[in-house]
Amino acid sequence: MSLADSLLVSAFSIALVFFVLVALFVLIVIFSKAFGSVRVSSDQSLVPEIADTPLQSAGLSDGTAGQDMSLGTLKLKNVDEKTAAMIMAIVSHESGIPLSQLRFKSIKALEENN
Amino acid sequence: MFTEALKTIWFDSGFAALTWQHLVMIAVACVLIYLAIVKKFEPLLLLTIAFGVLLANLPLAGLMKEEMGSETGGLLHYLYLGVKKGIYPSLIFMGVGAMTDFGPLISRPSSLLMGAAAQFGIFMAFIIANLLGFTPQEASSIGIIGGADGPTAIYTTAKLAPHLLSAIAIAAYSYMALIPIIQPPLMRLLTTEEERKVKMEQLREVSKLEKICFPIVVTIFCVLLLPSVAPLIGMLMLGNLFRESGVVERLSDTAQNALMNIVTIFLGVTVGATANAENFLRLETLAIIALGLVAFAFSTIGGLLIGKLMYKLSGGKINPLIGSAGVSAVPMAARVSQVEGQKANPGNFLLMHAMGPNVAGVIGSAVAAGILMALFG
Repeated sequence: MSLADSLLVSAFSIALVFFVLVALFVLIVIFSKAFGSVRVSSDQSLVPEIADTPLQSAGLSDGTAGQDMSLGTLKLKNVDEKTAAMIMAIVSHESGIPLSQLRFKSIKALEENN
Repeated sequence: MFTEALKTIWFDSGFAALTWQHLVMIAVACVLIYLAIVKKFEPLLLLTIAFGVLLANLPLAGLMKEEMGSETGGLLHYLYLGVKKGIYPSLIFMGVGAMTDFGPLISRPSSLLMGAAAQFGIFMAFIIANLLGFTPQEASSIGIIGGADGPTAIYTTAKLAPHLLSAIAIAAYSYMALIPIIQPPLMRLLTTEEERKVKMEQLREVSKLEKICFPIVVTIFCVLLLPSVAPLIGMLMLGNLFRESGVVERLSDTAQNALMNIVTIFLGVTVGATANAENFLRLETLAIIALGLVAFAFSTIGGLLIGKLMYKLSGGKINPLIGSAGVSAVPMAARVSQVEGQKANPGNFLLMHAMGPNVAGVIGSAVAAGILMALFG
């Protein structure tokens, strides 16, 4: 193959590689935007539902920590509210189950000598 | 009588059939085994390849002997069918797909441009190999070393220039192991201190739905456009769909562990076994090894240059060091970007950002291979 031919083949091939990957780039942007808008609308529809979750109804924003507490249906033992909220969020995230569909009965810290 | 028996045993043994070429190849195999065990150069593949080289160069063992009439062939001859027919590289791609998180790429799709630019070395080596008198099929196989993707290099070479398979596989895996040595000088040469210090913003979170749709969209688009890449891209994306769907944990686990390990053994040992003295001890092997280095270097340069362009266009938000990760070699090339970035700025964490171009490079090299196979296959 002559130099001119190999230059031509190379230019064509690298252009085609760019074309394919740029087209993928555009596709990803389009479907990310599409899914983003779907997610936004579904998030908005979830707002009232989330407001009624055990986390919210348990009133976890009001303060006392480090002792046995009963907040609505959720009992906290040696766990402060901030940590409890964090645990609930992590469980929801890791399990993929929306917080609105999870019900926590109690969260307690295990003592080291147990 | 006794001496006659001893003579017969001697002349029937491999020792009597040993030539200096066999001895050189056995020495090469021992060097590769040393590099794999002591230096830990891609040991999973280099160790098996090296042992394949050793087995293929023990005279009279006949492990690669072809089937002749009623006489059965050698063990490795049958196992080699998986390479010849393109089965093993495709299955390895399925395992790679099952192990790869495309999240960083979906999160920043502009990484695909770096993955494309980092294929530049393939075509640079292709041009030089043509000038050196290699056929277009051989030049394509040599060039694909620059994709820094072992399975793609093996798949392409098995289709286009099977007689060069051992040299190309050994060159590809050796250079992949040497990425932490080859890339940093080029990275420092082509970027400024200020560019290397750039801290990149955190990537956005990618939803599960996006991750599930990604392999399906890529498969439909790439395979329709370039049917020759179907085995590689198709298996890569199938493995990824196993991972992201979350409903076939067992299949995902098998693809990325048990199956991947089994295929790696078969692939390595049979590719190594193609390196017999007649095929390997030639001047063209040295040319292939040199061209492989050229391909790697130019691919790194291509990625870095587009990284610099994106740095300018983004107003200094993109660290050009992540461009070099576009040469695939997952995740080694991304780790090199991380290390170099942290040397310039200890608070710099580029690993996840570099994974985007890194996995884009896997797709890019498969696409480049597909184009070359469509042109010269």
